[in-house]
Formats: sequence, structure tokens, C-alpha cells
Amino acid sequence: MLDFSAIQVHTFYLAQEAAATDTAGGINIYSFANQLVNGIGIVGVLLLTGLGLAITFGVMRIINLAHGEFIMLGAYVTFLMQSMFQMDLLLTIPFAFLGTALIGAVTELTVIRRLYGRPLETLLATWGLSIVIQGVVKLIFSAQLKYVKSPPYITGNLSLITGADGTQLVAISYYRLFIIAIALLMLGVTLYLLYQTPLGRQVRAVAQNREMAKCLGVNTSLIDLLTFAYGCGLAGIAGAVISSLKSVSPPMGQDYLVDAWMVVVTGGVDKLIGVLAGAFLIGESGSAIAYILNDPVARVIVLAAVIVLIRYRPEGLFTVQKRA
Amino acid sequence: MTQVLDGVQRSTVPVKLLTTAGIIFLIFFILPFLVGQFQTALISKLLLFGALAISLDLVWGFTGILSFAHGVFFTLGGYAMAYYLKLNLSSARNTYGVDLPDFMVWNGLEQLPWFIAPLKFFPIAILAMVLVPAAFAYIIGWFIFRSKVSGVYITIITLAISSALTTLFISQQAYTGGTNGITDVATLTLLGIDFTDINLYWVILIFTTLVLVGSWWLTRSNLGLILRSINENERRISYLGYDVASFKIFIWTLSAAIAGIAGGLFVPLNKFISPVYLAVAFGTQVVIWVAIGGRGTLVGPLVAALLLGQVQNSAERVTQDWQLIVGVLLLVVVLFLPQGLMGLVPKRFSVNKLLQLPTPNPSAGYIQARFFDWVTPLQGAVGTLQGWFSRRGRKR
Repeated sequence: MLDFSAIQVHTFYLAQEAAATDTAGGINIYSFANQLVNGIGIVGVLLLTGLGLAITFGVMRIINLAHGEFIMLGAYVTFLMQSMFQMDLLLTIPFAFLGTALIGAVTELTVIRRLYGRPLETLLATWGLSIVIQGVVKLIFSAQLKYVKSPPYITGNLSLITGADGTQLVAISYYRLFIIAIALLMLGVTLYLLYQTPLGRQVRAVAQNREMAKCLGVNTSLIDLLTFAYGCGLAGIAGAVISSLKSVSPPMGQDYLVDAWMVVVTGGVDKLIGVLAGAFLIGESGSAIAYILNDPVARVIVLAAVIVLIRYRPEGLFTVQKRA
Repeated sequence: MTQVLDGVQRSTVPVKLLTTAGIIFLIFFILPFLVGQFQTALISKLLLFGALAISLDLVWGFTGILSFAHGVFFTLGGYAMAYYLKLNLSSARNTYGVDLPDFMVWNGLEQLPWFIAPLKFFPIAILAMVLVPAAFAYIIGWFIFRSKVSGVYITIITLAISSALTTLFISQQAYTGGTNGITDVATLTLLGIDFTDINLYWVILIFTTLVLVGSWWLTRSNLGLILRSINENERRISYLGYDVASFKIFIWTLSAAIAGIAGGLFVPLNKFISPVYLAVAFGTQVVIWVAIGGRGTLVGPLVAALLLGQVQNSAERVTQDWQLIVGVLLLVVVLFLPQGLMGLVPKRFSVNKLLQLPTPNPSAGYIQARFFDWVTPLQGAVGTLQGWFSRRGRKR
């Protein structure tokens, strides 16, 4: 009667396919290196998905459980643009950003705004929202998997170590490099916006002391709106970039949501750099353990590590200790 | 922990409530004679889900810990019972004519793993059904409640636990039966009585009643008072000298144990257990029962599970998008009805009145006010946007 037919088999993204190659002969140093290098791709995905969360959670203290759905919406925008206008994936990125940012803004106005200062309610509301968005997308596009073409000029592998007979021993695909490049670029843009522009100064002021910022004439509700929309836009970019890695489907976002949250919890949200460190730690340790054991076990071990970490460093690894 | 035991005290029992409860219990007692076999099975199932929802209400409604992992505790208890029933399947009924469960045979296991073998014996299986979820919850609770993180982190951790364990159980096919889970189990037989259909219904009815009454007694005691205070002002209660973390760990572990027993009873009814019940989707379902029924009301979640289950049962014949409806319901409840459906019950008839709990009053006027709360910022936002753009224009 209860129909949860779509149990999501979470995979640690690309780790599995990399782990599947050549593990027969015990621990091969080259395939292990390969796994680590390919872990970079996972780091890129985690960084991209975690960045938007770090903005909405770190700056505004909003628990956004619909973040995965904004990633999914970004992927669908890319799919739409490609199927309607035969657009290149790179060109669809701005549209994915704008589209999801717009939906994010509407969400903020209709739902989030009403629940400020009540984190558990926000969490529940965004979770309901994520179910609704999934349902609506499923109604419009059907549950069928959609496929997005990756740009033809970003294919092939960059060979890092080549064997004597010319085979690639350690190689990384250009698309993974592209993902990490986009992720770092977005991190840079976000840092610039936050620390070098007047708008960013206002955002930080609101984050530090909402009442005081309001007294000094900052339009806090507008800042909230823009910040949330920007965070959602980042999720949209993540969705656009990820869309060609796997198929695009309504429940795809949930795969990324939990991992993105793990990144944010690990790195802490005080400094955006923590997200980078968190993504790196989780991505690389995940793929290393997945190589030695297997993928689901790696997930459980990483999760257990995060739980232990919370016990001893509740504010995340990369947060400066503050006096209480 | 000594503090926790001190807090449990005898509380007085109001007669009015007892009569109402007695009548409702009697109705449920004769219900299986009035409805068909299918409905009996459905109601048994929904009663178990109701007990699960009550266990979540204990931690969420009363203590303020929102968990998406109650499906996990439920399923852990379920697997314990499923192993017991599977291992006691007679060789003749086994597909391969051996003692080893079928899924282990086709996944190439030669003999029973040491950690599953003891579950063949009923007392051990029953203990495992309660203790495995409880111990699992205790370990998680010890780590997260002893640290000073806010409640939302805990919720996110429970989400992660649910999704990670789903993957794990699906991947360990030889031990767990993979995506299919453990199917085709034996009938639960104790002391020569077959627990099927109506017998099982009564066991489940008694269990759910015990859970409801036990939880009610617990929350009415001093312990319940402390739990509610933790929900309202954690810092103050810790300044009063209570060890907040141990209270949280206690109720969290207890709640997981209840969920585990519910899961254990679910298997002889459902005839299988699978990772479907581990997944986040099922955990969400439990959260929704509590949210819609009304947090901290105990009866609300039970009623919501019974009603929503019936509605879903008939709705699924008409539409494929039940999940969408549930999502909309959740949003509406969070935004407009924080007290859930129980908040709609007129105060005179409300269970809280019978329980003599203080109720915030969500009357019709209250809901109207909340709706205006919701509309006003929309107008305000349009205003600010207009102002912002016009100011921009003037600067240039």
C-alpha cells in the first residue's frame, strides 16, 4: 500500500565507477592514485552543492532541505534549454542560475520569510517544499530519466602518469577538472561578493547582528531575499554542471542533499573556506575508503566520522574557536 | 540517569479520560468482527504505524528533537523479527530444502553468519528486536546530545543515517536480502497459537494501547514535565541543575525501543521487511503523521496515521501522486496549523482539556490571523522591491 518504489540507491557519485575498475590485483598503487585523483571530481561536486547551503545556512541560518530540489531544478533548466534551443551546456549555466534564483526568491517570499527564528519549522517546511517541487516536476516532465549532452570539447582524459607502453596509468577526465574549476570559480565569486562589495558588507552585517543592521538602515528583508535567491542560484549552477554526469530525474536532488549537508557540518560555516576543506576531506576520504572497502561502507564510515566529529567539534573543523 | 528515574512519579488518573479511552478501545476491540479481513490487516498495520508515530511524538513533540530516523529503528526491530521467522521456516517450505535462508543461498553463503545465528531462538530474537534499535539510538544519542549542537544538526544527522543505512542494507545482499529484504517468512507461532489475522490484530491493539497509555503516563509525570521544559528552554533547565543530555538520551533510546517493537510486530503482519522502510521517504511519512496529527498530543499522531493511511489507501486507486498531496499537506500544516489537526478540535472536546495540559489556543480566529500574517509580508515585499528599484533609478 505504501508506495516508496523510488528507493534511491545512493551512490557516492563517481566513486563507484572508479572503484569498479581494476581492484582485482590487491591494492594497486596506480589505481589507488587514480581513485584519489578522481576523488577531485567528487570534491568539485560536493563543493558546488555545499556552497549554496553554506550561504543560506551560514549567513542566514536557514535550514534548507529543499536544496537538493534546487539542484534538480537547475538540471532541468539545462535540459530544457538543450532540448528547446540546442544550447551548449556552458551557455545554459547562467539560465540555470537565474531560473533557480527566481524560484528561490518566490520560495523565500511565500514560505521561508514566515518562519525566521524557528529553525525546526523552517526545516519541516522546506522538506514539505522539496516533496512538492519533486511532485510538480514529476507531473510536468514525468518520472522518466532525461539525458543532457556534455560539451563536445570537454571530453577525454588528462593523463598524469603514462606507462612505458603508452597506456594511461593515472588519468583524470577533463569534465571532472571542469567541475572543480567551476566550483572554485563560484567560491571565488562568492568570496568577492561577500567581502569586496557594499552588498556583501550588508549581508555580513545582517548575519552578524540583524537588529543593529536594521537600525543602521540596511533593508534586511531585501538582503534576506537576495541572499536566499543567490544560494538557490548556486544550487542551480551545481545542477546544470552535474546534469551531464548522470541522468536528470525528479528524485536526483536527494542524493546530493545529504552529502552537501555533511560537507557543511564538517567544514563549519563560519568561513566559506571551511566548505572547501569539508568538501575535500569528505570527497577524498570517501573515495579512498571506497577503494579499500566498498562504496556503501565508505558512506557509513564517513557518516560515523562526522557524528564523532560533531561530538568534539560541534562548530565544524575549520571554525575559529570563539569565546562563548 | 538517576535523575531520570527520580523524575518518574505516580500521577493521578482522571475518570473522564478513562471512560472515553475505554469506549474507544472497545470500538477497536469489536471492529475486526464488523469489517473484512483486508480492513483488519490494514487497521493492524496503521495501528503499528500509529505506535511508531507516538514514539516519534515523545522525542519531537515533547522534547523537540525532530528525527527522520524512526523508520530506521522500526526497520531494525523488523529485521530482528524477520530473521527469527525466516530461520524457523521449516526446511520443506524453504526453496532449496536447506536450513539456510534462500537469499543467503543464492548469494553464495555456505553457513549462517555468527551474528544472525542466535536469532533462531525466540527470547534472543525478542531481546534483539528491542535492544538493537535501542543500543543503536543510544550510541548516536550519546554522541550528538552530549555535544552542544543545536537540534537542527541532529535532524540532518538522522537524515544521513537513514540514507546511509538504506544504501548499506541494499548492498549487503548476502546478509540482508538486498532490495527485496527478507520475504516469505514463517507464521509467528507461540505456545501453539498462530499469530495471524485476528490474533495478531489483538496483540497489535494491546501493544498500541500500552504505548499510548505508557507515553501518556510518562509525559504526565515529572519526567514529562522536565522533557517539555527542555523543549521550551533548554538553557534554563540546565541552569536548574538538570543534566539535559541524559534526559534527551533516555527519551531518545526509549522511543527507539518502542519503534523497534512496532517494527518487530510489523513483520508477521506484513510478511516481509525491506529497505523501503529504512529509506528517508518512510521516515518522512512518520514525521508527517506527527506534524499533521499535532505535536505533543500523543493521540493526534495515532489518529493521523489511522486517517491518512485510510485516505492513502483509497487515494492510490485514483492518483499516482500521493506524495505530492502529502507534501502540500505538510506545508499547509507547518505554515497555518502548527498544532496540527488536533489544534482544530474545539477546546471543549480536546484531549488536552481531558489531559489538563495548557493549550495555546488555535481557534478559527487564530487561523485567520495566521493567514493575514502570511499575506502581509507579501505586500510588504512588493513595496520594498518597488522602493529599492526607484531609489536605484534616482541615484543614476
